[in-house]
Amino acid sequence: MKEEHFIIIGMGPSGTQAAFTLRKQAPDARITVMSKDAERAFTPHMLPDYIAGKISEEDLYPYDPSTWDELDIHVRRGQRVTDVNPANGYLLLDHREVLRFAGLILAVGGRPQIPEPFLPYQNLMFTLKTVQDAKRWTRKLREVDSVLVIGGDLTSLAVTKAILHLEKRVFFLINKDAFWPLRYDKELMEEFSNRLSERGVEVIPSGRLKSLFREVNGKIGCQIDNRSLQVGMVGAFLGLAPDIRFLTRSGFSMDRGILVDEYLNTGFEGIYATGDCAQVYHPELRDYWVSIGYENAVTLGRIAAFNLAGCRVQAKVSGESIFKVREVNVNTSWWAEF
Amino acid sequence: MFKKADPIQSTRAEDFDYMKVNVPCQEGCPALTNVPAYIRAVYKNDFNLSYNINLEANLFPGVLGRICSRPCESKCRHGEKELGKPVNICYLKRAAADFRGRHVPLENPIHQSVSRKVAIVGAGPAGLAAARDLALSGLSVSVLEAMEKPGGMLRYGIPAFRLPRTILKEEIERILSLGIELTTGVRLGEEITLDGLLGDFNAVLLATGCYVPRQLNIPGERFDSVFSGLRFMMDLNAGQPPRVGKKVLVLGAGFTAFDCARSALRLGAPDVSICLRRTEEDLSVTREEVLEAKREGVRIESLMVAKTILGNGNIRGVEFIRTRPGLPGHGGKREITPIEGSEFILDADTVIVATGQGPEPLALKDKRAGEGMVTVDKGSFRSPVSGLYATGDYVTGPSTVIQAIAAGRNAAAAIFRDMTGRDFLERVVTIEDAVTTDRPRAWDFLPAREIPTLEPIRDRFGKKPKEVELGYPGEQAETESKRCYLCYLHYEIDIKRCIYCRYCIDVAPRDCIKLVKKIMTNENGAISGFEETTVWKEVNGIIIDNSRCIRCGACMEICPVECISVSKVQLTERTIGKSEEP
Repeated sequence: MKEEHFIIIGMGPSGTQAAFTLRKQAPDARITVMSKDAERAFTPHMLPDYIAGKISEEDLYPYDPSTWDELDIHVRRGQRVTDVNPANGYLLLDHREVLRFAGLILAVGGRPQIPEPFLPYQNLMFTLKTVQDAKRWTRKLREVDSVLVIGGDLTSLAVTKAILHLEKRVFFLINKDAFWPLRYDKELMEEFSNRLSERGVEVIPSGRLKSLFREVNGKIGCQIDNRSLQVGMVGAFLGLAPDIRFLTRSGFSMDRGILVDEYLNTGFEGIYATGDCAQVYHPELRDYWVSIGYENAVTLGRIAAFNLAGCRVQAKVSGESIFKVREVNVNTSWWAEF
Repeated sequence: MFKKADPIQSTRAEDFDYMKVNVPCQEGCPALTNVPAYIRAVYKNDFNLSYNINLEANLFPGVLGRICSRPCESKCRHGEKELGKPVNICYLKRAAADFRGRHVPLENPIHQSVSRKVAIVGAGPAGLAAARDLALSGLSVSVLEAMEKPGGMLRYGIPAFRLPRTILKEEIERILSLGIELTTGVRLGEEITLDGLLGDFNAVLLATGCYVPRQLNIPGERFDSVFSGLRFMMDLNAGQPPRVGKKVLVLGAGFTAFDCARSALRLGAPDVSICLRRTEEDLSVTREEVLEAKREGVRIESLMVAKTILGNGNIRGVEFIRTRPGLPGHGGKREITPIEGSEFILDADTVIVATGQGPEPLALKDKRAGEGMVTVDKGSFRSPVSGLYATGDYVTGPSTVIQAIAAGRNAAAAIFRDMTGRDFLERVVTIEDAVTTDRPRAWDFLPAREIPTLEPIRDRFGKKPKEVELGYPGEQAETESKRCYLCYLHYEIDIKRCIYCRYCIDVAPRDCIKLVKKIMTNENGAISGFEETTVWKEVNGIIIDNSRCIRCGACMEICPVECISVSKVQLTERTIGKSEEP
């Protein structure tokens, strides 16, 4: 009988990588991956290519369902964890089932964030996180000829490329609040604007969104400073907020994410956090940071699994790729990619 | 036709114990406001009744409906896991104040005149609460206030965009109209002395609050553009707005810190951040306060503690050190540890230190009262000096408005008791017959109504302060009131008549009806626990666990032998006889 039960909450890139690594490190352990979504594990960074029609839906799923069976990893989809008791080593599911664990990796990811000043308009904004979101984008893009993109992160740029590929007109609103994850400055803004303009995007620099409303013709009216604009749809790419509300009463230290040390440990023995939901204090950087992007998620997932299996691997920081955004340091490699 | 029976008024300890467990909102309120009753009155559009229920317990329904820290809502049964969000009790209190008639009858003194005089030092919430009760009891009450106007922290600590002064003025005038003599601009130790007051009055109650800002004791704290949060708000509210720069850092995490940050934006600062030692998760201010501050443009930075305010007379920035929260200790609070070597600097030209305040030392010849600070017994409010009492924040340190009101009222009761040897008010549990709830089950799933706020945001920043929270429109107040389970309803199974068909268990929406082996009671006779069983031969009874019951009435409706009854059980106050000349 297998003694150890390791649970990973989250089946995004970080959680998936953690599970695969853990299987190698602990061949005899019982491993369960919990996902609140019914979807299969997919590659979120490829969603813009799907929207552009460059790849099929099947291409979004990197793993054959049999992969999990072959690795003897038990996957439970559509299972919402409602509480974790770290001190006593169990978690509670929505239907009141209790699962005990010897080790836990929290890889719950993040959900699209709408900053407080934009909240009144969130119902008019399209975000992109899941395959279902991408399908909504695809359906809507068939009906419209223009899109206002509010943002400045990697996803917003990738989606902009996708929209241009579909020969739709793109307006791009960047301002201090929307610019994520980089620190806004004039030089960066100019370079950003130039590159977008070269691709045929109409950039609205430093604009302040005053209102969004649905016109009688079904289009979206936008008031940006003193300029009025009508577009077919609005996409918001304003960063991710970690999906950790369910842990509020659990005893974990949480701020912008679950606070962990450079080994991704939460302070509770055998419990780690990784990916978008982890906020790491790193002595080398002498500050907290969160990682975003596919590569970072995979790397951290691997490290969390190593450490849960008894190794002692530090998360690496690279000063050049860390930026402070909305009061938090962000580790990202996307700017170089752009 | 039978006349409806008068409610039974119980003072049995077991009934008080029952109320503590079963009506959690009322128990959560320091002033023990009868929450279900006033929410029910809102539902019936009887806003005068709703206002008066509040007035009796907490004196300031219009004020508290805007700024209360809402301890009731964190206890609301509707907020328990799997039941959704708590009822917006505070907004309903405000609705009662907003929609009541203009001429809600004033309270009359309920006792004959007692020829004793009480001086109350401090016209803040604690002092005014004590004054109201003592005036109603028939004593002659004089209130002495150091500031130009009464209200204390309500007037000088809270910005007008959260608490319009017309509301405050009206509710203070209502209290003063009970025959209370108010003298403002008299400061203890200057225009008046404690020894003098003790000679002129039969009793003196200190309710002078906490007005001495807590220092950080870090280098640079005395630079010109470093304000204490309290001083910042007091100057602003006294009509002398402080000058702020372009980059303001507010150090603190309470309501004062948020008030300062939002006020700094209104004074023209374009960049304002609140710097927390802990995290946003640990904030004790309401979530609406955090949301509105952020929507207005306040940034919240966390896990940092100030080490040095940098500059040379003028502020250049603040050096911080990162903190790390430990695992939760007893009471759930985490210890915060600075992380060595993690220092960093944030630019700033204005710093507001809003990390709390303490009481002001007082001069008194009789040193039995304490050295500089008067010490009192917490139950009796008595100091070692005969006739000298103290209450409110002065005794406890900074608390909430509702705690200060409760403390003021309790001190008034203690003073009256000492003077006359009797009580003029007592709490009773009223028990009356009721019919099963008229709330359709669908109301349990109504979403909580958010309160409308002033939009667009730029309209909040005019020259004159504009109230941000606009209050519910009438129909929204009624809808929100429907969400209240009415926990003052008490369902009970008469096990002598029960045939154990268990239909009630089948229809119960939660596991609130239990087959039990054994029922435990405490020393007062109130149910303190039970031993549940699923083994039929062990069953000795069946009970409704009222601490889990959501008062849906389904059990009563399905019961084939009508052995389930419902009554209305409320914790209220009653006056005790007429006082006589002692």
